[in-house]
Amino acid sequence: MRTVSGGRRALKWIGNTLLALMLVWTLVPFYWMIATSLKKDKEIYGFEATLVPRQPTLQNYVRLFDKTPFVKYLRNSTIVAVGNTLASLAFATLGAYALARLRFRGRGLIARGLVFTYLVPPALLFIPLFAVMSALRLVDTHHGLVLTYLSFTVPFCTWLLMGYFRSVPIELEEAALVDGCTRLGSLFRVILPMSLPALAVVAFFAFTQSWNEFLYANVFVNSVEVRTVTTGLTLFIVEDVFFWGPMMGASFLSALPPLLLYLVFQRWVVKGLTLGGVKG
Amino acid sequence: MAIRTNEAVADRGGIVPVGARVRPRRASLALRREGRLAYALLTPTLLVILFLVAYPFFTAIVMSLQNKMVGSPGRWIGLANYAELFHDEVFLRTAWNSVVYTVVAVALKFVLGLTMALILDQERRFNNFFRTLLFVPWAVPIVIVSLNWRWIYDDLSGFLNNFLITFHLTSNIISWLSDPGLAMACVIAVVVWAGTPLYSMTFLAGLQAIPRELYEAAEIDGASIVQQFFYVTVPRLRTIFLTTVMLSTIWTATNLQFVLILTHGGPANRTEIFPHLAYTTALGARRLGMGAAVSLVFFPILAVLILLLTRRMLRPSDD
Amino acid sequence: MARMTRRQMLKTATVAAAATTSPWWLVKTSHAQRAKKIVFWHVPNFTPLADELQKQQVYEFAKQAGVKEGEVEYATVANEQFNAKLAAAIEAGNPPDVTRLYESNVQFYASGGHLLDVHDLVEKMRREPKGIFESAMASVLVKGRAMGVPLAVNPWPVHARMDLLEQAKLEYPKTWDEFIETSKKIQSPPRLFAFGMCLGPVEDTTDNVMNLLWCYGGKMVEADNKTVVMASKENEAGVKVIEAMFKTHKIIPPGALSWDNSGNNKAYQSKQAAFVMNPSSIYAYLDGNDKDLQKVTGLMPVPAGPKGTVNQIDTWAYGAFKKTPYPELAKGLLDYFMTPANYDRIIQSTGGRWVPVYKRLFDSPFWRERPAFQHFIKMAETGVPVSYAGSPTPAAGEVLNTHVIPKMIQRVLVDNWEAAKALDECHKRIVEIYARNARG
Repeated sequence: MRTVSGGRRALKWIGNTLLALMLVWTLVPFYWMIATSLKKDKEIYGFEATLVPRQPTLQNYVRLFDKTPFVKYLRNSTIVAVGNTLASLAFATLGAYALARLRFRGRGLIARGLVFTYLVPPALLFIPLFAVMSALRLVDTHHGLVLTYLSFTVPFCTWLLMGYFRSVPIELEEAALVDGCTRLGSLFRVILPMSLPALAVVAFFAFTQSWNEFLYANVFVNSVEVRTVTTGLTLFIVEDVFFWGPMMGASFLSALPPLLLYLVFQRWVVKGLTLGGVKG
Repeated sequence: MAIRTNEAVADRGGIVPVGARVRPRRASLALRREGRLAYALLTPTLLVILFLVAYPFFTAIVMSLQNKMVGSPGRWIGLANYAELFHDEVFLRTAWNSVVYTVVAVALKFVLGLTMALILDQERRFNNFFRTLLFVPWAVPIVIVSLNWRWIYDDLSGFLNNFLITFHLTSNIISWLSDPGLAMACVIAVVVWAGTPLYSMTFLAGLQAIPRELYEAAEIDGASIVQQFFYVTVPRLRTIFLTTVMLSTIWTATNLQFVLILTHGGPANRTEIFPHLAYTTALGARRLGMGAAVSLVFFPILAVLILLLTRRMLRPSDD
Repeated sequence: MARMTRRQMLKTATVAAAATTSPWWLVKTSHAQRAKKIVFWHVPNFTPLADELQKQQVYEFAKQAGVKEGEVEYATVANEQFNAKLAAAIEAGNPPDVTRLYESNVQFYASGGHLLDVHDLVEKMRREPKGIFESAMASVLVKGRAMGVPLAVNPWPVHARMDLLEQAKLEYPKTWDEFIETSKKIQSPPRLFAFGMCLGPVEDTTDNVMNLLWCYGGKMVEADNKTVVMASKENEAGVKVIEAMFKTHKIIPPGALSWDNSGNNKAYQSKQAAFVMNPSSIYAYLDGNDKDLQKVTGLMPVPAGPKGTVNQIDTWAYGAFKKTPYPELAKGLLDYFMTPANYDRIIQSTGGRWVPVYKRLFDSPFWRERPAFQHFIKMAETGVPVSYAGSPTPAAGEVLNTHVIPKMIQRVLVDNWEAAKALDECHKRIVEIYARNARG
């Protein structure tokens, strides 16, 4: 707890003001999205466009569930996002442990290599990637997408966990090893339980990235049974006509799962990397 | 009593501080065991990377050295694509735009993200709730963020102009995305809106890890608030700063969706950045080879950045 | 940290290289076994009714041809993603069997050897009483053979607010000069601008700009598809007219510089522009969403310049890909789509979005009873593609897709270049594109 001095009180006041400003800046566009989804077409376009819907209507949402397989899209997005999150956690945890704790040749190369993967532009390379996925018969499948998404979630997750694992005091692990634990045992019994906040961030990152991914979801999937929400959103654009109302409605609904997830996970996230301060 | 020489520890498969000296003969056994374990643990990751990232990257390099078009085999032309680029005025303009766009966007995200993290670190009621609200931009796919903002900036139906005119803050409509002076700033504003949560989230997690005792000790020593920030906070957050800035720079520089949807690179190439140019070349002109060349041209700069930053971070005595 | 020996480095490098390149080998040797006999990619038509009908027709044909429902793959591909998906599918070696292709895409894919020859199908269409609009053939003919089946011919009329003209007691302008004068009288900026000309870095801009330039005698390339004539005095005259419209007379909304292809649609639909040059997607949209506005909308011919009036058409075609293991089914499907009875049902359900390629169908009540379409048949007959005086070749497609002409007009309107200088730069660009495409 900080002692509240005069300087700190001023700081608090400044803090609250800035916070208010940031909230306005952050939420107004979101408000606009929701407002558009509640408007009739007439109120969306032209000089009859209103700041606040004068005749709010739920017809855009009704149309969403009635005329499009939106629920299926939600289901597919969930399957892919959850699948990817679990796989990312597994891959990243194992890899991060190796990079953080083990000495071996090529450690630096691999760690750097993971960062280099982000230099490969998906906007171009989805083409050869599609060829590979096609040859492996992974096109138009849930697991195909999960696998593809791993290519951009695993490097970041590994790096995040790597940094975190290194801050776990070595003494704790050594104590476990002296007691007869294997390396992997010490990973699961000592390091992971102390890393819940970082694991939460990793899970959250992987989920959100998979949920919101757009390019691969569009190109690699044809059938409605596997189509995700993001592709569904672009189907509201037909040639040169945009159906803004339902599109914004769908966007709002699809933003809810990540938000709810964050609300749940963030308690863990900001509980803090308290290990830094705890000395054995 | 166990002998705690480095060798003994290593022989048992225990952990030796990285960088410590271990005498060669006994060390090699332990090292080999560690090495095998490491590669076993890294295999899933490496497989994913090699198949799904390295292979496409390799094809990109090959394509950039050919005049490959969609649907036809390519002919080798060596560095001709790259040569063509450096003589193209549009490309040079694109390069400049890309640098400005990336540097300004990352700088703003950093400042705003850090400010928000510091503020959310303070105690107040409903902090959790505020944190979730500030997180909203990240929950929405970039495509939708861009479309939404496109709409907000719209001349006649957009929120901004409507708002400004309704509250008599201006009498003329402002063509946000059509004005050559404003277009880039408007695009950057959207990039910052969408990307700040990443910074505030990771910085906040880092701030929460700093033990309060350190601040109290500093205060007792007579440090002012500003001094506390620079001598306590910043050193502890350095790794997170570097990691986030590095990754965000790469992500910002290579993202094309904002420009694709907001301005298509206009007006008059004012907002053309290299990922967008690569995309229109590869899919619009269907010149995959040239598109690959545009993408790869920026690779060296970003690679150097990564090498510099990771050198610090991968040093054994970090944190 | 121990350093790697040279041998170990070599070993690691070999393993990595092998792993990296193995997918290439995998891709080359895999033969996609297809369980599906018919793969059709559907691009949303615009009205849900038309989409439904198209789907029905695919399955009807399948049944008729003895193909089970499970052996049909009917995929809906959003317009935005179509090029990306098709490019990826072709590179991976498994394109769809049949899909819609726009303008020069037919020639592009045909020149790559990807499309089936469907000349016999088109000949059959031509044998129908009154035949088809021959203007549609320009985009599907490659070396005298039809490589695509023309499906719709879309004129680009001027959507006009006839009520505003009536209010101001003015006639629809016959020349561009009259157009400018009329515009100034009926507009009330900033709420209402007269001319919603698309000026953003998108395809519609090329269409709008070229259409005007043609009326002044200008064009992009000669009929030999080789001689580029962008830097001509006629083009310069036309560009100067656009410049005057934007800067001096101010009849074009300044925001048009950042419009995408839907910008002019939105402008007209929300009553912020009085004249918009666009295919009848706007009219069709109004059919379902704003019948009042539709009633007062006229689909008018393009005003004339000193060299007369020229209007644009663009063509949609169906293409069948050679890679299909079932070419007879693919061609059979096309035949089924184009049977006049089936075809007419879809045309009518698009609310006027597509103009039928069969001339005879224009006699049906659907068209005759809508006075708005009275000019259409003439426009469909005499219309020219955006690549005028050349045909929709891959080179022309590249010019359109890389927004060469929008960039030229933005040089004039944003960078304040002289028209001649901007056209010069544009000309060089187009010459380079045509040359490169000719080399192959």
